Amino acid sequence: MIDISRVQKELQDCEKDRDSSGIRVCPKSDNLTRLTGTIPGPIGTPYEGGTFQIDITIPEGYPFEPPKMQFSTKVWHPNISSQSGAICLDVLKDQWSPALTLKTALVSVQALLSAPEPKDPQDAVVAEQYMKNYQVFVSTARYWTQTFAKNSSLEDKVKRLVEMGFGDAQVRSAIESSGGDENLALEKLCSG
Amino acid sequence: MISDSITNASASAAPSARDMGKKKRQTNRAAKLKQSKLGLRREQWLSQVAMINKGDKEETCPNRKTGNGKTVLPVENLEVQRGGEEEAHHHESFISNSPNSILNSIPDFSSGSSSGSGGSCSGNITEEEEEDAAADDDDNDDGCLDDWEAFADALAADEEKKHEKVNPPPEEHESVIKQSASLRDSSDVKPVRKQKSNQAWRADDKLRPQGLPNLGKQRSFPVMNMHFSSVAVPSSCPICYEDLDLTDSSFLPCPCGFRLCLFCHKTICDGDGRCPGCRKPYEKNTVKVETSVHPGGLTIRLARSSSMFCRS
Repeated sequence: MIDISRVQKELQDCEKDRDSSGIRVCPKSDNLTRLTGTIPGPIGTPYEGGTFQIDITIPEGYPFEPPKMQFSTKVWHPNISSQSGAICLDVLKDQWSPALTLKTALVSVQALLSAPEPKDPQDAVVAEQYMKNYQVFVSTARYWTQTFAKNSSLEDKVKRLVEMGFGDAQVRSAIESSGGDENLALEKLCSG
Repeated sequence: MISDSITNASASAAPSARDMGKKKRQTNRAAKLKQSKLGLRREQWLSQVAMINKGDKEETCPNRKTGNGKTVLPVENLEVQRGGEEEAHHHESFISNSPNSILNSIPDFSSGSSSGSGGSCSGNITEEEEEDAAADDDDNDDGCLDDWEAFADALAADEEKKHEKVNPPPEEHESVIKQSASLRDSSDVKPVRKQKSNQAWRADDKLRPQGLPNLGKQRSFPVMNMHFSSVAVPSSCPICYEDLDLTDSSFLPCPCGFRLCLFCHKTICDGDGRCPGCRKPYEKNTVKVETSVHPGGLTIRLARSSSMFCRS
């Protein structure tokens, strides 16, 4: 049985200093087992300006077991899988402590973005690029941030897709049906 | 005895510059300390007389004056007093050239007491003196200090016995209260001093200095102690966010000071058993309530006394 009261209090606490920390946790399901965390990309890194969403699943044994966290926003980072968004971070595994919270865990993930650990990689391709060709890594990470972590306005998305040669109404309906995801909308437009 | 004086003489016959300096320092110190020691002895003797005369008065009077917030002060005074006492003993080893003079001084110091612990202790001292005289090395100071500490303890034991003879029912916590009260009793200086010095030994004899302040506080002012311990106690468990009850808030399972409720502690111990605060594994049987500081103090005391026996 999950400790609902603790999760509820954590959500309240997180909501209180949402403006100062920039970190948010929103429930996805009514039973509070699935949540969505949001962290801003750290300033001074290739992730600056992006907003990253993290899927959180609260396990049965929480807080004695760590919450399961995974990026739903695509990130180019040595310790985050560019495919699945899986995070390689000790506090989410063996170094978890029940004294930590969802918020502190998200702060740790944010810290991981600014301090990659290429010697203990989750994504070997990214880690190799980071070690061998740092400049390329930075530009790739920045491009991914710009592409996937920027929640631009609907009009911007429409404008970009229209520039690609699609009709305005067609673009709007595609974006709407794909839940605001520009890339998904593009795929739909291309396939359909 | 004769060989002792010979070694002493030979040691002083070959004086290096360092030895000269040391000697001079010792003499100066000895003179100063002698003064204080004599003063102390006189006071002790006087207060002993005063004690017998005023035994009843002191027993009843201070009890009325308990309950003021002065807890720390008496303990500090205890330590100061004890330090002075030790120095006095320490110095004695310097002014006495032969063991004989020490042996002479002991009965004078604790007159009419049972010679059990005092006697055996003086034996140790004699050996130590001989060793020092023969070796004449730099460890001289430390050795003397350690041994004289032991000697002070032994004397304290004697003093305690005497005290109990004079004052038949002195309970430990009662006497602590008495002593704190006697501080404020400025009408008669001599009995106050006697009371203090005696208390210093007594408390010291029961517990080594590390445990000493805690004991005094806890015994005389339990409410204050609760207050002190509750300063760092969170109002709710940081794990389950439930409020901590009285048992939980006195529960300190890890030396890092991380507190949690008993339920969460149990759950953690069923799992990996590591403290959430420092991630170190909880030690087995460390379910200790905060008030149990005494075992620590006791072990330290034992370690010291055992080292004393190793020396002799």
